[in-house]
Amino acid sequence: MPPTIRYHCNCTSLASGVPPPPHLPSSAYAFHPLHSLYFCEECDAVRCNRCATVEISGYYCPNCLFEVPSASVRAEKNRCARNCFLCPVCTNTLSVVPSDPPEPADGARTPVTISAVGEPPFFLYCNHCRWDSVDAGITFEKPTGLALQLQKTEDSAPEILELEKLKDYFEPALRQAQAQQQLHASSTAHLNPIQAAASSALSRDIPALKYSSGRRPGLGSSSSRRGVPPAMPSPGVGHQDIDDPATEYKPRVWMSAGGGIGHDAEVEWLANLGSQGGEGSSQPVVATSNSGEIATLSQRLHATQFSWAPTHSLRTVDLKPTRVPLRSKKSKRCPKCTHILIKPELKAQSTKWKIKLVAGNYLPGIEVFLPTVGQNPALKKTGKEKEAASAEEAAAANMMLPGRSYPFHLIFSNPLYDPITVRLSVQRSLPAASATPIVPDTPATPMVSQSHATAKRPPYAISLPTTSFLVNPFAEAWEYEDDEDEEMFDEDDIGINLGISRTPGRSGTGRDGGTKTKAKTVGVLERRANVTKIGGEVVVSKEGKGAVKFNMLVSYTYRSDDAAPEEAKTDASTPASKLSSTKKELLAGATENTKTFNFYTVVDLGAIAPKEIIAKVEKQERRDSVQTVGVYN
Amino acid sequence: MAAAPPPASRRISTVIEPRPPARSSSSSYIVGSTPHYSTTRRHSLYGTEDRIIIDPGSKYWKVGFSGEGKPRQVYQVVQGDGEHALWSWHASRTPEEYEEADRMLSSRLQDTLRAVFFESLMTDPKSRKVIIVEHPLLPLRVKDLMARILFDNLNIPSLSFISCHMLALLAAGRTSGLVVDCGHLETTVLPISSSRPMYPLLRTTPRAGAHLTTHLRSLILEYGTYHPPFASLAGSANTAPRPSRVPLEILTDAFIEDIKTSCCFVGQPLDVSETGFLSTPAGGRDDRMDVDVETPVSHGQSLHASPPSGQRSGSHSGAHTPNRPPQTTQDFLSAQYERQSATFDFMIPVTPPPPLTGTGRGNIRIPGWVRERAAEYLFLGGDVDEPSVAEVILQAVLKVPVDLRKRMISNILVIGGTPMLPGFIPRLHQELVRTLTKPMPTPSVRSPKRRAYDPFDAVRPLAAHVAILNNPSPPPSTSVSSQNAGKAPAFAPSNMAWVGGSLAGVLKTGGEEILHDKWDEAHVTEPETPTHEVVTKETSMVLPDWTRVPMVVGAPHAGKHAPRQFGLTIREPVTA
Repeated sequence: MPPTIRYHCNCTSLASGVPPPPHLPSSAYAFHPLHSLYFCEECDAVRCNRCATVEISGYYCPNCLFEVPSASVRAEKNRCARNCFLCPVCTNTLSVVPSDPPEPADGARTPVTISAVGEPPFFLYCNHCRWDSVDAGITFEKPTGLALQLQKTEDSAPEILELEKLKDYFEPALRQAQAQQQLHASSTAHLNPIQAAASSALSRDIPALKYSSGRRPGLGSSSSRRGVPPAMPSPGVGHQDIDDPATEYKPRVWMSAGGGIGHDAEVEWLANLGSQGGEGSSQPVVATSNSGEIATLSQRLHATQFSWAPTHSLRTVDLKPTRVPLRSKKSKRCPKCTHILIKPELKAQSTKWKIKLVAGNYLPGIEVFLPTVGQNPALKKTGKEKEAASAEEAAAANMMLPGRSYPFHLIFSNPLYDPITVRLSVQRSLPAASATPIVPDTPATPMVSQSHATAKRPPYAISLPTTSFLVNPFAEAWEYEDDEDEEMFDEDDIGINLGISRTPGRSGTGRDGGTKTKAKTVGVLERRANVTKIGGEVVVSKEGKGAVKFNMLVSYTYRSDDAAPEEAKTDASTPASKLSSTKKELLAGATENTKTFNFYTVVDLGAIAPKEIIAKVEKQERRDSVQTVGVYN
Repeated sequence: MAAAPPPASRRISTVIEPRPPARSSSSSYIVGSTPHYSTTRRHSLYGTEDRIIIDPGSKYWKVGFSGEGKPRQVYQVVQGDGEHALWSWHASRTPEEYEEADRMLSSRLQDTLRAVFFESLMTDPKSRKVIIVEHPLLPLRVKDLMARILFDNLNIPSLSFISCHMLALLAAGRTSGLVVDCGHLETTVLPISSSRPMYPLLRTTPRAGAHLTTHLRSLILEYGTYHPPFASLAGSANTAPRPSRVPLEILTDAFIEDIKTSCCFVGQPLDVSETGFLSTPAGGRDDRMDVDVETPVSHGQSLHASPPSGQRSGSHSGAHTPNRPPQTTQDFLSAQYERQSATFDFMIPVTPPPPLTGTGRGNIRIPGWVRERAAEYLFLGGDVDEPSVAEVILQAVLKVPVDLRKRMISNILVIGGTPMLPGFIPRLHQELVRTLTKPMPTPSVRSPKRRAYDPFDAVRPLAAHVAILNNPSPPPSTSVSSQNAGKAPAFAPSNMAWVGGSLAGVLKTGGEEILHDKWDEAHVTEPETPTHEVVTKETSMVLPDWTRVPMVVGAPHAGKHAPRQFGLTIREPVTA
């Protein structure tokens, strides 16, 4: 896995405002790739998809791209109400095919897709798994408006009718109970209506309870039944008691309708499915996944017939096609100031945005790579790489080895039209090794250090340049001077190794890691256009294992005047319009106001090779070398 | 390949698919005469009238709008293989571990809840009231976190929690009954009388979905065979690799779940009486067999109440007790099961896991009896810690006041995902009856004088009244009260609670509503506090819960004692 870098959003910080330590699994929820982050200009803060307020701005069908008005979305149950259906078996979209003309067709496989001409019984056909709706007993007279033709069965689905009946059953009693409750609002105020209804039923049975609410004690229940105060709902005739057995609920379709024949048959069918006989006999294979007579749970859940027992069946044959679920276009707002972060164009076909404040336009983009990993000299075999290396070897080749140090590169690119000065520091969840520079203004991290005190120290140390460095402003390609051309040209062939060997470390510590690269570099390696390449180094300790991950605080300073935010806003909101940007660069340098922005990132440099794998590989290697020696001698 | 006709060449008029008999019942699909949009028309399209019903499980979530007959989406929340469930009963050991687990839970809940609104339902949370179908033993921490995310992150206007048992009972059209929720982590039995859940009488057993999965995995490991694919395509059919034991790597959670949910079912009870086989192996687990049968209490009754019809072989207990004692109980059981099972074996194609290779896919053979008997684990007699499902129901009945017992036992409602196993509910009924009517254990040689002890002695007379409301295939009723059996609406057991929530949403009833304003009022302190905090500090608003005594409005909140927490040994509040 190549090294990755993710950016922190402040919505998931620890108490002290720092992100969780990188080795905890919850760290994955606090950091996001840069392209999924937004930037709120009002709050001057990064926002992520987990904290932004989402508004649905439009619905459309992903299959036919019809924009569904939100008024009908609810009634159509968030699904396409036109001709789009999903295969219940493989969730591919289905196409409508007519049945064949009367004359027996030969085996020519020419399913005529959606055509108005064709034999009337149309059916749905899956191009992927060859499911067709005839199996499910669904055919259509017309090839259009299929959903409408099916609507009837959907609306009169038994579970809805049953729910309606249940509602009609409970409603009167509830209303009555509520009325009664309001009449003598007492200590039962906290009861919910259904409890109140039940309690009224209870109190009818037990006279002593009836007057516990303090009204006319001493009268018998019978008298109260006759001489009801006018405002009081009569508990006599017409009274709906929730617990009255006389008004017991009679379902439309009850569970054991049909005497349980269906259920027993299902069990029987399931028991007899499969193969019997010894090992040697030819066994019909029954698959549960995708093909086969039994529908998997996910298929059944997808087909949403799960809710009603009589229609719920394990058989694949009984699966019904589902209408394609709609998608939505969402606009997002900042949770704090409710300013819009991103807003799409409403047309379903459009992939553009009306407003787009993505973090990539504000924060420097960072790329990480490890130039030397993958060429571990210890694992390198002379002339043998092309041969099939074992899986372990392949894995180990991309991992770091314990007891070595590796240089890594951080490539900063500046999206702003101002130059920025970047300063890096490693979050203090790492051992305070002498090699680890701690920038004085790193916020104190009591939470981390506390949890870290008990946790094991990370088995590696990170070195980063302590001084701040400059990243040139962003400019269009044609604005660069000619003399930069060769440097830009270099970018292509810098490759993995080249950069490091060509630019010997300016501020590097020069420690020898034992690898073939002589010059270890910690510091600025290269600067061109709006990109600056920084070298760092990781020293893996002898007994290191696991992943090398560290939290890095990036603080960058840029010049800003009063106009700056507005400029940035226009820039960002129209990132495609880069035409008018020429003069902004000039403007930016004019004022002396500087602003600093801090953000955390987590850098994942990859894994340290576990001991077993190394041992295995080394053993293999030794054997190989012995063999080689044998051959050559 | 060539044999399969291209689909378009099908004559629709001629092709008549043989309909399986079970399908006939689905004709009711078209029966109704309700006009279009009968339900939707009555509710507003945009308004807050339709509430959002969330039935959050540790494994599956069901979400949808109130007033609809089924959830819009039912899906598994935890997709990765590493984690089994969103939350579990595992406790963390250290405070750091706990905090981390808490952060993980919170993050995942937040992602899941956001997905509910923005991906599943695609609706604006700011205008929707939410009902959460709450399991009575849902960790309070989960509840608190859900409330916090819903209010603070999603800005919903109001939230209420309603007990899932209560809702399921509503969906069955009742207000009294014994609700058995057999879910993933636990089986929970809760008696409800007059729509009052009797929480103190709650009984639970860990015999539920998660344990069943573990059990099934070990059964397949033990008795299944793996037929590897051919090593190369060159070999002839004779060189087929030999079947071997099932490699553990194949049996991922997803694979086991697939087998469990699609090819397992629950067979009829075996006629080997428990005492018959469990006392044969020497030593070990026979302590509970030491009871003997001197007291003929309700013996006559147990004779008269014959086992329900439909038992596979009619011979009675003891007849199958073998002469030779087998090695272990397990072997004996498997032999018994295998002998009596007529279920066919299954071959399931699997892709060989990385260390193994071959061309194409191998197969796993699952013996038929494993398919049939895996769920036996839920019904076999348990012990104090893990009673079987039938036993835990009877324990709950025992705890209920005497007057209500008959009513409870004849109004059993079974909900949850595990009862979706075909045959589960009829089998549960048989087990209940069998536990109540089984003859007293045979006299033990060791302690012939001891009085027989039957924990369910007191409820034995109720055997004739056992009725499961949503039994799809109830036995002929033996008494008036057992006529209830199978008379619940035909909602699937797994969705019963959600449907109840939908109903409660339409009826505008339900638990206490927590309004956003109130939530904000309680949380005005420290508006900038990040979401992750030490637990004891942040719960300034006390969510209503049955474990917390309802207090008069305005009563000061005793913030001293830490709330019941999930996975944490209760610590003192961290005070600076």
